[in-house]
Amino acid sequence: MKILVIEDEQALLESILAYFMGEGNICEHASDFVAADEKISLYSYDCILLDLGLPGGEGLALLTKLKQLKKRDGVLIISARHSLDDKLMGLDLGADDYLVKPFHLSELKARVSAIIRRKNFDGNNEILFNEITVDVSAMKITVKGKQVILTKKEFDLLVYFLSNRNKVVTKNAMAEHLWGDEMDLSDDFDFIYTHVKNLRKKLIEAGSADYLRSVYGIGYKFGEV
Amino acid sequence: MKLSNRYNKANILTSIVVLIITGIIYYVVIHFILTEKLDRDLAVEENEINQYVNTYHKLPLPANYLDQQISYKTLNGINPEREFLNTIYFNPKERESEPGRSLVTIVHLDGKTIAVTITKSRVESENLIRIILLITLGITVVLLLSLLLINRFVLNRLWRPFYSILNRMKAFEVARMDTIEQEPTKIDEFNELNKSVNAMAERVRQDYKELKSFTDNASHEMMTPLAVINSKLDSLLQTESFTEQQGALLEDIYHATGKLSRLHQSLLLLAKIENNLIPDFQQLELKEMVAVKARQFQELLEKNKLTLTADLSPVKVTMSRYLADILLNNLFSNAVRHNITGGHIFIKLDQRSLSISNSGKARQIQTKIFDRFSKAVDSDGMGLGLAITKQICNLYGFRIDYQEKNGAHTFTVYFNVELSS
Repeated sequence: MKILVIEDEQALLESILAYFMGEGNICEHASDFVAADEKISLYSYDCILLDLGLPGGEGLALLTKLKQLKKRDGVLIISARHSLDDKLMGLDLGADDYLVKPFHLSELKARVSAIIRRKNFDGNNEILFNEITVDVSAMKITVKGKQVILTKKEFDLLVYFLSNRNKVVTKNAMAEHLWGDEMDLSDDFDFIYTHVKNLRKKLIEAGSADYLRSVYGIGYKFGEV
Repeated sequence: MKLSNRYNKANILTSIVVLIITGIIYYVVIHFILTEKLDRDLAVEENEINQYVNTYHKLPLPANYLDQQISYKTLNGINPEREFLNTIYFNPKERESEPGRSLVTIVHLDGKTIAVTITKSRVESENLIRIILLITLGITVVLLLSLLLINRFVLNRLWRPFYSILNRMKAFEVARMDTIEQEPTKIDEFNELNKSVNAMAERVRQDYKELKSFTDNASHEMMTPLAVINSKLDSLLQTESFTEQQGALLEDIYHATGKLSRLHQSLLLLAKIENNLIPDFQQLELKEMVAVKARQFQELLEKNKLTLTADLSPVKVTMSRYLADILLNNLFSNAVRHNITGGHIFIKLDQRSLSISNSGKARQIQTKIFDRFSKAVDSDGMGLGLAITKQICNLYGFRIDYQEKNGAHTFTVYFNVELSS
């Protein structure tokens, strides 16, 4: 995947880049409006992460520019502005998704993956991981060609893990992904455990390897054993 | 006590006292004058009798005429003083006893001492006094009535600008940024009041604006470091070479950061609702939303072994879907959070209201339950959920109510304020 991160906060930019690096991803970055404008005009990306408040210009203007250039880059807006207007305007201008700061990197990755999947494989939306195949649009999962029946939550969880493979995903991030961040149940994410346990059991029963590991009680990691 | 009542009371009391005193003085003086006049008439009569006696050396005939009686009595030895006195005499014309004024005087005739009693009717003067008294009383009553009327109508009209200013002040909400309109009046005091009130409102509004922009800016500035902390934590976690102890520390930090960002988002949301910055109005099928929300909370209900009973009828409300979702979220979270293991939640939705009732510990809940950062001592929430809920209700003209009865805590949202009371 080729990704452009447009973000003026250096520390945040570094974290995002570090998280997205590897697995054959190419990440470029721009820290101000002019640099971003230049990169957008010159190159094409699978996904652009766009911060709205940029030095030298308004991030939304870049969206208009992309539209003018008739580019098909996926765009995910990351903004500190938790404003519905901004969100609607961004989506109207052709952004694919909108994420409000502060966010979990795993959530960011999951959203970016979703955007790229939608862009690149129109209709044929599949994730492959060793013996596991996930058809996201049909919500179908097969392990070694055999179909596994999962609940909606388990399915979402699996897709989330697959987007963040080999990363530690916190329970907090998982809960927010599955139930939305408005749920406000602060500290109580134990009920996630049930879903993870069931998912793991079903996958193993279907003949997959045990890819899920609990990490320090904070979260889980899905990846090569 | 109202100012006009107070004024009325003082006014009327004084008037009554003054009028009574005037009446008494009036009565006494007129009485005195009339008695004087009668006495003078009696003296004239006495004089005439004396002249008659001196001229003709005999007594005039004891005559009864024109409310006047003269009688004679020969005295033996006793020498009474000449005196005026009030008597009752028989008026043959009217055939009844009447009050009279008598003059007893002495006439010496042929060496005899004769007591002459001249009596005149007092009826007329009494009548006069009575009439005067009645007129005085009448005037008193009319005066009092007119005072009352004046107070009632004129004072009320005079004070009208004051009350209208008062009402506008009551309706003034600093967050709404509206002005207190000028009430046109010719009265200087009220104009001044109006001006002062407006100046004060302006000052309050200015202060509020500054405070608000400070909060807004502070929130925004807080967002970036928070985002950095969050992302750095996520990155740190990936390095994965922690001991169990370090893992626990990390979890705590996650915890605190999560709480901080939620707190932050809640505050921003509150500010936004207060400033009515969430304009997306639409008609919502509330029943459906409640059902969806109940499904969303399924895991939590199961975890706490709670039973949920719902009695829902189709209800349409016009509000933002986003805020409706938050409203339901907060009410549900609240019902779950403050429940007891194995407890129950009962939801009822009808045209009038939505009420969510949950079992819980019986406790004294402060009236400040809807205030920001007010929460139960053992609650791990932020204390903003209900404040947000209340704000959302305010925004759409709903009314939210809390009741506790035998350990059942019930929140009721009335969709129409008029119908609720």
